[in-house]
Amino acid sequence: MSGFFWTALPYIAFATLIVGTAYRYWTGERGWTTKSSEFLSKKSLMIAGPMFHLGLLMAFGGHVIGILIPKSLTDGVGISEHLYHIISLAGGIPAGLLFFGGFFLLMRRRFDNPRMKVNTSTMDGVIYFVIFLTIVTGFGGTLLNAVGLLGDGFNYRECISPWFRSVLAMSPDAELMADTPIIFKAHVFMAMITMILFPFTRLVHCLSFPFEMFMRSPIIYRRK
Amino acid sequence: MKIKAQVCMVMNLDKCIGCHTCSITCKNVWTNRPGAEYMYFNNVETKPGVGYPRNWEDQEKWKGGWEVDGSELKLRTGSKLGRILKLFYHPQQPELDDYYEPWTYDYETLITSPRRKHQPVARPRSLITQRRMEIKWGPNWDDDLAGGDSARSDVNLKKIGEEIALEFSDIFMKYLPRNCNHCLNPACVAACPSGAIYKREEDGVVLVSQDICRGWRHCIPSCPYKKVFYNWKTNKAEKCTFCYPRLENGLPSVCTDTCVGRIRYMGILLYDMDAVKAAAKTKDSKEIYANVLGLIKNPNDPEVLESARREGISEAVLNAAKISPVYQIIQGWKLALPLHPEFRTLPMVWYIPPLSPIAKKFEEKVYLPNSEAMRIPVKYLAELFTAGNTQIILQVLQRLLDMRTVMRCKEVGESPPQNLEFDAYEYEKMYKLLALAKYSERIKLPAGVQGKTHEQLRELQGSAGYICPGGFC
Repeated sequence: MSGFFWTALPYIAFATLIVGTAYRYWTGERGWTTKSSEFLSKKSLMIAGPMFHLGLLMAFGGHVIGILIPKSLTDGVGISEHLYHIISLAGGIPAGLLFFGGFFLLMRRRFDNPRMKVNTSTMDGVIYFVIFLTIVTGFGGTLLNAVGLLGDGFNYRECISPWFRSVLAMSPDAELMADTPIIFKAHVFMAMITMILFPFTRLVHCLSFPFEMFMRSPIIYRRK
Repeated sequence: MKIKAQVCMVMNLDKCIGCHTCSITCKNVWTNRPGAEYMYFNNVETKPGVGYPRNWEDQEKWKGGWEVDGSELKLRTGSKLGRILKLFYHPQQPELDDYYEPWTYDYETLITSPRRKHQPVARPRSLITQRRMEIKWGPNWDDDLAGGDSARSDVNLKKIGEEIALEFSDIFMKYLPRNCNHCLNPACVAACPSGAIYKREEDGVVLVSQDICRGWRHCIPSCPYKKVFYNWKTNKAEKCTFCYPRLENGLPSVCTDTCVGRIRYMGILLYDMDAVKAAAKTKDSKEIYANVLGLIKNPNDPEVLESARREGISEAVLNAAKISPVYQIIQGWKLALPLHPEFRTLPMVWYIPPLSPIAKKFEEKVYLPNSEAMRIPVKYLAELFTAGNTQIILQVLQRLLDMRTVMRCKEVGESPPQNLEFDAYEYEKMYKLLALAKYSERIKLPAGVQGKTHEQLRELQGSAGYICPGGFC
């Protein structure tokens, strides 16, 4: 079973993410939007919106650093394990607080206001639940690890990170994930579920960035 | 010189009776869908008043339109990077309550109610939440001044100071029908991060591509007229289309077609695209009106025609431009003015300012007043139409009064006064176009631009529109 979770599922997740997003783009571009709800409830977004997204971007950056940079590299430039740990917690705890706090405020906003109901689909509910579990397992695991409750032997840079890089290198090594605590396994699993659902939810908005706006002339003329 | 054609509208406010027929027919055609209930692509406001959405003219609040900073023409809403930083929360974004919460009534209780002592009542229900609601504001709450509270918060009144008393004896009001101005320098187009809004090359109509729109909503605050709307259901921007499917078949927009007072004129203008930016960039906003007149070229000038043909403008469009009633009103007699030219978007819906009853203090002395002796203060009209230049308003009103004088003289058999601006024949022509003109004289649009047969159009039915065809919405 672990063979499926840590060797097949990641590829299913990546494939769905890429193919699904492309399919969505070609067939349903008219539905490609962030589904902004500022119009329906503005005041409650003022703090929650920027807070959640800032936390998310920080957390994403932290994951990129923690997973893609091999331990041997940081060891090589003389960053001790202890120092690395402090740096990652100094960035990770505020990121987690902003991310989770923002998520809490956004969810309260979404489910406490009758107007917001018209902007919330079933798929939205599903993806919020998945994101909730992803954040809880990730942030919870980090906190438990920080206070030493996951045992001394655990270091995600010796199991999850090399496993993820082995997936990227197309030779997945499920053995690496064998001794990972269950909470982090759940976190990785929820992240893969998020990737699978991503193309079919409002999350696609994060792929839209107006590069062309910085180049184009202000007024556009277009033929029919 | 690079000539482009622009479909343009003139509204003769002298004849607007404020009946809202334009708003209703527009609504029935375009915005009677879920997500669009609150939208009025066309609405009629009573001025002075706060309008729809509330205080839309207050650009200190919304940062709409353009401003000149040194020698640069910039969007008031900020630089490109600054705008991107408003990604997760946009402070100038209007919300539903700035417009109003749309509602319907529980009509069913009227027939399903059991026998009771009192008549059953159809209570209001929100079209957003489907819950019972209390109606506190509507799209035309301050119609006909309605108590005067909102009239006092009119931004234009505040700007001209306390000289205007809202005393009962001197109270004034006028109607202002508004739809998208299909500007020559549209701020919504410039603000769109996705490049979804564009000006159609063949007729200048400003449209939102429902496919390219990503729901950034930057068009909404940046349009100083608040005529781009956010559909809360499809989560995309929508706006007045000038009824382009009708235009393409030589028909005017629905609001023009159904106007009871026959105040609307539609036709083609030829303008010099190369000079648009310079016209909008002038330092003194009082000069913008004159600059725009400079942009609008004579459709009978061979040089203009040659340049237009070089741009691929069809003969049908050029012929329509030659007989354009809007050209005659705007450029020929200079009777029409753009709404709030100081927003620098160069609107292409123009207004003939209204005459009004004689102010009380002049009442006994005159039969036809001078242009400054009327109830609607010239300063107020100047705030609306000329960025505060009262001279232009006085001129336009005087032309309208002169026309009436000439026609009166003709009726009672007197000789018209000498030293008028135009000769009597010209005033008669003016009278005919402003007062008598039939549908076909008010509207001169080129037909057959569409290039699709009726059968082809029928096949296309249901393939276009605002609803997402592929799902995922």
